[in-house]
Amino acid sequence: MDKEHFERVVDALVTLKDTSELMLDLAYSSILLNSRELAREVSELEDYMDSLHTDFELLVLSSGFKPEESKDFLGLIRLGVVTEQIADAAAQIAEVVLRELEPHPVLKLAIEEAEETVTSAQVSEESILDGKTLREARIADETGMWILVIKRGKTWIRPRPSTQIRAGDTLIASGYADGEEDFERLASGTARP
Amino acid sequence: MDEWEKIEYKPISVRNLLVEIKNLSELMLDLAYSSALFHSIELAEDVLELEKRVDTLAYLLKMNTMIAARDANDAEALLGVSIVASSANKISDAAADIAYITLREIGVHPLVREVFERVEEHLGRAEVKPGSILVRKTLDELDLAARMGVDVIAVRRRKDWILDPKEAESILEGDILIARGTAAGINELKDLAAGIMKELED
Repeated sequence: MDKEHFERVVDALVTLKDTSELMLDLAYSSILLNSRELAREVSELEDYMDSLHTDFELLVLSSGFKPEESKDFLGLIRLGVVTEQIADAAAQIAEVVLRELEPHPVLKLAIEEAEETVTSAQVSEESILDGKTLREARIADETGMWILVIKRGKTWIRPRPSTQIRAGDTLIASGYADGEEDFERLASGTARP
Repeated sequence: MDEWEKIEYKPISVRNLLVEIKNLSELMLDLAYSSALFHSIELAEDVLELEKRVDTLAYLLKMNTMIAARDANDAEALLGVSIVASSANKISDAAADIAYITLREIGVHPLVREVFERVEEHLGRAEVKPGSILVRKTLDELDLAARMGVDVIAVRRRKDWILDPKEAESILEGDILIARGTAAGINELKDLAAGIMKELED
């Protein structure tokens, strides 16, 4: 198999894995914040996952592998199937919000306890975060809060150390409750560096 | 054949059950991907063991939510809890499916591993042998994150799992540490746990 084709297969797998995990983060956050907006995003991502998954399977099947390599490729197909299962589970969680089942207090408490707290803040132009990558921003060191997801306009970005933060981004983060204030100040630009 | 654990009702709070199911399912997913991508039979076996535990917890949660529902309003309010728990259980099943890729020797194409090594943080497993300098030290004292860039995310102590261990937690002989970090850091931790490396570097 040529190298270029293989790289496309792997890229597609990485995207599937990232998208399924992003959906899960968003789904739990949608319950915690009782946010129909987040929940709707999860169900839209589910449709997107379906098409990603089909593309991925077609890519794998058109790899032109030899019979003795078939197990290695079966492993790839199976990983793809699992990301789909995770996406389905995430969509099921988000559906609780979309169907307007009032989230039971126990549910919020459980998610809160599991993830401490979840909060969101918009990055202002004055913020020292504007233009920095997540690696440079060291938000976890400064505030004890971890970025779950970045919302930029209509898209949701799963954070990587190299992801650049821009003014206008909404950062959704989880962490210890006492870091919440520092986190909000950092994003709004009122924090002293 | 698998042994099936008999399910008996135990009064455990729905909240505690849900927290544990959710946390375990997320840990399992991380362990499972690592087992498949880095071909670790031990991690895969841990996943299957945790899967049984999640199944048991899910049964207990169902029974406890049934008892908690006294009328139509309760039923409506608890439906969400039950759906989220079953979704988390589904995720643990998905993790077990990944573990089977490793255990049934299906394997994942070795080139995939190369790519994931570049993009993913490593997850590793280190067994604490007698004579390791880690024994009887707390995580706080060891300060592994600052020293070698690894974070202990779970400790397996015989049949028990300590998720997200506290800083004051002491490491005991026989513990299995599950840690996240750089490849070099994980290897260093393994050497310390095995007693091959005898000193902590600053």
